[in-house]
Amino acid sequence: MKDLTATVKSNEKIAENIYMITLSLPEDAGEIHGGQFVNLSTGSGENLLRRPLGVCIANGRDVSVCYQVKGKGTRYLSEVGSGRELQVLLPLGNWFDLEKYKSVAVVGGGVGIFPLIATIREFSGKKDFYSYIGFRNKNAVCLLDELSGSKRLTVTTDDGSYGKKGNAVEAFFSDAENINADAIIACGPPVMLKALKAKLAEEGVKTPCFVSLEERMGCGMGACLVCVCKTSDGGNARVCRDGPVFDITEVQL
Amino acid sequence: MADLQVEICGVKFKNPVIAASGTFGFGREYDLLYDISVLGGISTKGMTLEPRLGNPVPRIAEGSSVILNSVGLQNPGVEHFIERDLLFLRKKGVAVIANVAGRTLEDYGNICARLDGLVDMIELNISCPNVRAGGMALGIRPENIEEVTRLCKKNLATTPLIVKLSPNVESISVNAKAAENGGADCISLINTLTGMVIDIERRKPLLANNTGGVSGAGIKPIAVRMVYEASHAVKIPVIGMGGITCGEDAIEFMMAGARAVQVGTANFTDGNAMPKIIDGIDKWLDKHNIKSVNDIVDTLTLN
Repeated sequence: MKDLTATVKSNEKIAENIYMITLSLPEDAGEIHGGQFVNLSTGSGENLLRRPLGVCIANGRDVSVCYQVKGKGTRYLSEVGSGRELQVLLPLGNWFDLEKYKSVAVVGGGVGIFPLIATIREFSGKKDFYSYIGFRNKNAVCLLDELSGSKRLTVTTDDGSYGKKGNAVEAFFSDAENINADAIIACGPPVMLKALKAKLAEEGVKTPCFVSLEERMGCGMGACLVCVCKTSDGGNARVCRDGPVFDITEVQL
Repeated sequence: MADLQVEICGVKFKNPVIAASGTFGFGREYDLLYDISVLGGISTKGMTLEPRLGNPVPRIAEGSSVILNSVGLQNPGVEHFIERDLLFLRKKGVAVIANVAGRTLEDYGNICARLDGLVDMIELNISCPNVRAGGMALGIRPENIEEVTRLCKKNLATTPLIVKLSPNVESISVNAKAAENGGADCISLINTLTGMVIDIERRKPLLANNTGGVSGAGIKPIAVRMVYEASHAVKIPVIGMGGITCGEDAIEFMMAGARAVQVGTANFTDGNAMPKIIDGIDKWLDKHNIKSVNDIVDTLTLN
């Protein structure tokens, strides 16, 4: 884990309200795995909190993360030009540990697809990925090229304006019998993860399923106890340090 | 290189920069980023006798140059700290300040008794704005502050007691004096100001707890003023905090009367904030040809 002054290499719109920013690190920050995230300064003095963003592409000292413009901080970030410097703390959190699996189902929704892309890239050629990716509509569709490492890719939109009409969870379950996945990885809006958990329980699916969670964070490294989620036994887990990747049966969604 | 060492109630700090309670855990995580033994001290995450789960999420929000938090005293309990974290901090050679809270007066007395002699100082959190029972309730009225301070002092044979004061009060001078009258060895201030951020699309407060404690650079002028007022109302030493982000900010608090400072929110903005602040203090002193950081304490001249 390092807190570095990175240089913005590019910062481009990749879909409606979604941007990809590529940071050039001044030094090696160690290995970055799919599922890990960075805590990125917005570079504006008045926004004190950094923004936790899942790594999408890690390529040597170039690290790309994506974000949706939602409030002041991300709006400011979207206006940061190439060559500007931003403070970044990385790499943070745990990751999708897929070493022991061969065939992996990938269920992603909206801005949740980015850590999944990093995971597919990490294990490219070593695992069979079957990806089910949902977007709100065709304007939100992005980075499909980066998912091309999947053995099969199914894209859905809520309104049917691109790909199949429906959502990623439905698409996965309608195909589940054909693919024989020995693990499932998922990231997306809370409503998607909830639906996934409910459906897995309902169908009695025993395949291990790992989800990456999102929460508002402070320090990003586990000290401040701001970003907790509820565990199945009623306790708290720190999303930033005990996660962001959890076994879906071990957390309350 | 100026002399940065300070001594408060007989406790030596290698420099006047202390991690503020709640932002730094028990130091283990930040120690992965830099060697925390460079710090003057660490005020631990607020502890209670029993483990606590704290408030629902979201627990953090942002305003212009400030943040709000409502963690609600989530902590693993004092026994867990003694077993698992105390030795780690001891080995780091930083002054260890145990920040403690309770539900009742008795809780405060008992946790002080448990930690007496084990840590360098105890900091009484009677000003947590995020817990309904205890915490703030004890920290607003001077008579309550005096009572809880006196009770805790009775339970402490050796460890000096810091009373951390809330800014959400009528008179900070009166409350500082109340802590001193109760037997406090030191006071620290300010804890967070109570605030609210509203999500206008949902017409609901952003924090699950509705309100939270406001901290960060934006509150610094309020904190400096209160440190000035409090330090001139009492004879016991004062530790100042509230929005410190650089060496110059720390100098400002010390000129206002603080003998040392605590740094909280800045750790979120920059993981290496505290080592940079220590370096900033040193550079400022060198530039002004001041040999010891103690020489700037309470050197303010009013207009």
